[in-house]
Amino acid sequence: MLHLWLSGFQTLFQVRQLLFLGLGMLMGLFFGAIPGLGGATALALLTPLTYGLDPFTALALAGGVMGGVPMGGSITAILLNAPGTAPSAATCLDGHPLAQQGKAGLALGAAASANAIGGIIGTISVLAILPVAKDLVLLFGPPELFLLAVLGLIIVSTASRGKMLRGLIAGGLGLMIAFIGYNDITGVLRFTTGIQYLWDGVHLVPALIGLFAVAEMIQLSLKGGPIARDAGAVKITSMASGLLETFRHWPTVIRGSLVGTVVGAIPGVGGTVASFLSYSMTVRASKNPESFGKGNIQGVIAPEAAINAKDCSCLIPTLAFGIPGGAEMAVFLGLLVLHGMQPGPLMLIDHQVEIYGLIWALTGSCVLASFIGLLLARPLARLTLLDSQILVPIVTAVALLGSYAVDRTIGNVVVTAVFGILGYFMIRFDYPRITMVVALVLGSAAERNFHQTSMMSDGNLSIYLHRNVCLVLLIGIALLLAAPLVRRPQKLETAP
Amino acid sequence: MPIAITRRHFGCSAGTVLSALACPEYVSAAEADFPRHNIDFIIPKAPGGGFDNLVRVIAPSLEKSLPHKVSVVPNNIPAGGGGKGIGQLYRSKPDGHTLGLIDIPGSFILQQRQGGAAFDLNKITWICSMGRPEPYCVATAETSSLKTVDDLRALSKTRPVKFTSSGPEGTAYAATVIANKILGIRIQLITGYKGSSDFVVGAIRGDGDAVIAPITALRSLQKSKTLRIIATFEEKSSLPGVADATSLGQPDLGQIKLERLVGAPPGLPAGVKAILASAFSRAMGDPQAVTLAKKLDVELYPNTPDQAAARVRDSSAFFAKWQKYLT
Repeated sequence: MLHLWLSGFQTLFQVRQLLFLGLGMLMGLFFGAIPGLGGATALALLTPLTYGLDPFTALALAGGVMGGVPMGGSITAILLNAPGTAPSAATCLDGHPLAQQGKAGLALGAAASANAIGGIIGTISVLAILPVAKDLVLLFGPPELFLLAVLGLIIVSTASRGKMLRGLIAGGLGLMIAFIGYNDITGVLRFTTGIQYLWDGVHLVPALIGLFAVAEMIQLSLKGGPIARDAGAVKITSMASGLLETFRHWPTVIRGSLVGTVVGAIPGVGGTVASFLSYSMTVRASKNPESFGKGNIQGVIAPEAAINAKDCSCLIPTLAFGIPGGAEMAVFLGLLVLHGMQPGPLMLIDHQVEIYGLIWALTGSCVLASFIGLLLARPLARLTLLDSQILVPIVTAVALLGSYAVDRTIGNVVVTAVFGILGYFMIRFDYPRITMVVALVLGSAAERNFHQTSMMSDGNLSIYLHRNVCLVLLIGIALLLAAPLVRRPQKLETAP
Repeated sequence: MPIAITRRHFGCSAGTVLSALACPEYVSAAEADFPRHNIDFIIPKAPGGGFDNLVRVIAPSLEKSLPHKVSVVPNNIPAGGGGKGIGQLYRSKPDGHTLGLIDIPGSFILQQRQGGAAFDLNKITWICSMGRPEPYCVATAETSSLKTVDDLRALSKTRPVKFTSSGPEGTAYAATVIANKILGIRIQLITGYKGSSDFVVGAIRGDGDAVIAPITALRSLQKSKTLRIIATFEEKSSLPGVADATSLGQPDLGQIKLERLVGAPPGLPAGVKAILASAFSRAMGDPQAVTLAKKLDVELYPNTPDQAAARVRDSSAFFAKWQKYLT
């Protein structure tokens, strides 16, 4: 095993491979930072250019892109509340309030270090579980995925502590929106009101750009002035403190990385779930949950660690069975095939050196991207000092263009605008956006897997009791639901 | 890189051009200028799948084969099971600057389900096919006790056999329904999986008893002893020791094939059609495209617009017979 790890490492440590890795990383940073572009677009553009490259170089390039995207996404999420990619939306929740408080450097420093550490922990976890990857993927069928979605929704709902009713309303609205479009089970179009754009449902990335970036710009234009509320107090140089914060909150990093690794390894779940789940679990575990959403540094560390750990582990279902965890992995799958690597159980045997090379490339790129992110943090953090009269039109234009660029559809721009207005009112009336986002992500998956489970079991719900993973998830759900009932009497007892 | 022209490609190109020259509306200024700007190549599937990869493989070679230097831009529009992309192609200006890669019979079933409101496959201008039609096969998990078609038949006497599959718009869905009707197997479908890898893994995991998918999608899983192909729908099985349509006594199974056809909006001028068909024919002979397509397990096989249209007609006629079970 060790010689394979080293062989993979050796394939990467050649001038040509490192050059392409760096190139890919820079592209990933750029495409990750622009809302709406993301890794899938970067890889789709690069794939034809790799035809003439050998497989190792092509994988180094692809690994570079995939490793660089999360850091790019975090930069704009923190500074402008504009998530470059969907998973980075979770970083907006506390990263941007930190930028508003003049602590953009602190947030970027923490994001970069959490990114790098998350990537390394993810790599170690993947290297450890790769030999049993096939069995792990097969553990999660429709019943497990349905319960996992329910568990995710419950964990996130508890993150809206103190405003539970508003959280549930936002989550309910998110679920209703998630059910719009083509029903994969029955092949029927639902709630589209004759609008062809809605056949594929409401696209997640344009909705997130609206909910975070455009909503923020509406708020900023009404308030006036720069993003940093007290421009005089801005500490751009506090990146080193940000780095230290990550080490100070090591349980958050470990938890985030493990959540990312597990969620990534489950086929078809994706990074947005990983980042929001990690964020919500950190809120739940915190002794000071009310500080989240207002600029708690752990709210930056948790999703960032999860995103990069997930990037490594989502290779498992992609390589073992050709099931991509998202659009980026789907395009990467195509690149693999075009370089003569057919995903499937045999790939884990026939192309081990390439796989380990790819994992190292991903890790290397993610560490390198974090380093570049730190270098760029200082000049970029100055964006928070720009006056709203300059910033709002530029960011709004970039956000709307990015939204259009997702699949060159004007409907995306309309969605972004509508969600921007919705997001603004949610901020104004203090409705949590996190429950809506998670409901948008998990809604259709929960419905599809529930129906598939019913078809598998002929409607017999006892199927959930006859599967080991389901039992574990059911116990988790029960504990989560019972926790507030247990905590309340304790609080009453300790009350003066 | 120069494009090597084989005798087959030359014959195909010459046939296409001659048939277009015979057409009175061939020469017009607009056609002589074609293509004037980039070509939008609609893929009514998500990025990363077989269809998407095939378009991206052929696009650079197609650019080299067109009379003017333009880009061929792949455009994924997967919404509504692909219906949105085909609908957009159908309503586009018929000037040759919008093309689409359409799967048959999936699109035929989609058209039936939507009542022909969004598009009519019979009116689409067919340019050529990309790749030989892909035959299907039936498989079970390696650990399953179901090892022959007779085992499936026996099980269906006690309960419906569960097959994992795509949504009702998918070609695999149609293949599963029709093949089992032909084989006399009572089935229950577990639908809604995202793509062929997903529903194939569903069968391996035990979500269902069996799966029907293109042979190319299952070959590597058979090799890794994860899945067992118990019958192919080919006239003569390409897999040694595996039952085929002939040995099962069901030649109709051979009609169940996945076709990938290039289409343009209705009313495309004959001259533009000829230019496109000729360019595709040359592109499919380009060694780079041939090599890359082979990696996708696709053998590029150019044919004329008339042959492509005939394939659509034949396929539609076959699947129309089974329409009542599909919609």
